[in-house]
Amino acid sequence: MTGTGRRLLLIDDEEVVLDSCRAILEGSDHEVVAAGGGVEGLEQVRAFGPDLVFVDLKMPGMPGMEVLEAIRALDPTIVCIVFTGFATITSAVEAMQRGARDFLPKPFTPDEFRSMIRRGLEWRDLVVEAAALRREREALRENFAAIVSHELRSPLGAIQQNLFVLLKELAGVVSEDQQRRLERMSSRLGDLLALVNRWLRGFSVDFAGLKESFRAVSVAVPVAKAVESAQAEAVRKAVTIEAEADPEATVLGDEGTLTEAFLNVIGNAVKYSREGGRVQVSAVRRDEKVVVSVTDTGVGIPEADLSRLFDAFYRGQAATSGVGGAGIGLAVTRRIVESHGGTITVASDPGRGSTFVIALPALSTPAAGSEGAPPDQVSKGEAG
Amino acid sequence: MSERKKVLIVDDDPDFVEGIKAILDTEYDTEVTYNPKDGWEALKRGGHDLLCLDIMMGRGAEGVMMARKIRKDPVLREMPVLIITSLREQIAFLFPGQAVHPGFVPVDELVEKPVDPDLLLEKAATMIAAAEARRAAK
Repeated sequence: MTGTGRRLLLIDDEEVVLDSCRAILEGSDHEVVAAGGGVEGLEQVRAFGPDLVFVDLKMPGMPGMEVLEAIRALDPTIVCIVFTGFATITSAVEAMQRGARDFLPKPFTPDEFRSMIRRGLEWRDLVVEAAALRREREALRENFAAIVSHELRSPLGAIQQNLFVLLKELAGVVSEDQQRRLERMSSRLGDLLALVNRWLRGFSVDFAGLKESFRAVSVAVPVAKAVESAQAEAVRKAVTIEAEADPEATVLGDEGTLTEAFLNVIGNAVKYSREGGRVQVSAVRRDEKVVVSVTDTGVGIPEADLSRLFDAFYRGQAATSGVGGAGIGLAVTRRIVESHGGTITVASDPGRGSTFVIALPALSTPAAGSEGAPPDQVSKGEAG
Repeated sequence: MSERKKVLIVDDDPDFVEGIKAILDTEYDTEVTYNPKDGWEALKRGGHDLLCLDIMMGRGAEGVMMARKIRKDPVLREMPVLIITSLREQIAFLFPGQAVHPGFVPVDELVEKPVDPDLLLEKAATMIAAAEARRAAK
């Protein structure tokens, strides 16, 4: 049993209650600390790190309800039990709504107190275990990329590599029909690899952790890179990309992921454009925001699809339109934008085109050299 | 006609190696090792014009360690290194600050697995030619 050596905190303004509780616990393995009021009690929560806290609801000074909420904010795994007089049974219910696990009406017998402690500590163990499992699940999710990368991608890549060679070696040896089938195999395998890559991307990246590498970025740079990357597909479809970016428009962020976010939106604009269409990209400083907008003259988005557009795996009508995709790009884009403290919105006129607007908090001073870069992370990334 | 150039492949996936070896065999003498240790010994014996290196071998970035060793070696650092990578490294490429990053050897280029045969041959030829030009200029 985990009952030995636990830490109990008692918060009550009545000295006699504290004394009798201590007397009951005399000889037990529990470490007991008492506090005569809410403020002192919270200090002890921080300093002592209790497993279980008993809180009196009726105290002068800081009310018990507030103490409960403060403890929950400090560490939601700490189990709280309230002491109540019979007259305050309704407030005991309220206390439980505010995070207390149980209540103990005064006066109570030593046995009642001990069994309450036992139940409280059992609950504490469950809560701590659940939190550990949650963390483990989170770690598993983050490792998912590594696992899939090796276990799924490696064999697919090896098969594809050999198909590439066979296609070359067997050209002219096999019949036209056999050659065509080999090409189809390779093409389908390529689609599968691309799909795995996009899924990995959607699941695995720790966008919150990005903040550690944030530095001053002139948005003109990632915008230009994104436009350049989208250019090949645009040329194929005879779509013109017009880009204009204010080099003074600066944000605090990560250049690589911002490029990716812009590329997703610009790439979509090209993808859903008709042949000969036009995509306009602009990045400007507007008050406290840097606003990047991407406007296309493409097919537009039906109103019914707009609200779910940024959900992972949602493809709306595109799912049946023959345009390829996994429904990941915009979901990833939104996560990137939100990790930068920004927003992404879309307005669309079905049949005539759409405008995506990414608004990011502007940095007041323009990017100047390595200023704003965390000292330990001088931008090695720009060498490559 | 000059002698065929020598290419060393270091990659722990034998099936993948067969795929790129077959391509490179058409133009080069190829040698294969399946782990960084054997790869390093082969490099030390010398005579290679190009190294094709998988950077995610074994339990992690063993290829990266090998690349770092190459960078520190006064002779080997002159040799062109073609990094062959799968998606994980691409992510690292997008996210500077992580351990894996191209640019850790003086002369390198990066291609993603699986690699198009023509692209592989083109990269190999360009890198070997550039290294020869550098040597000639010295």
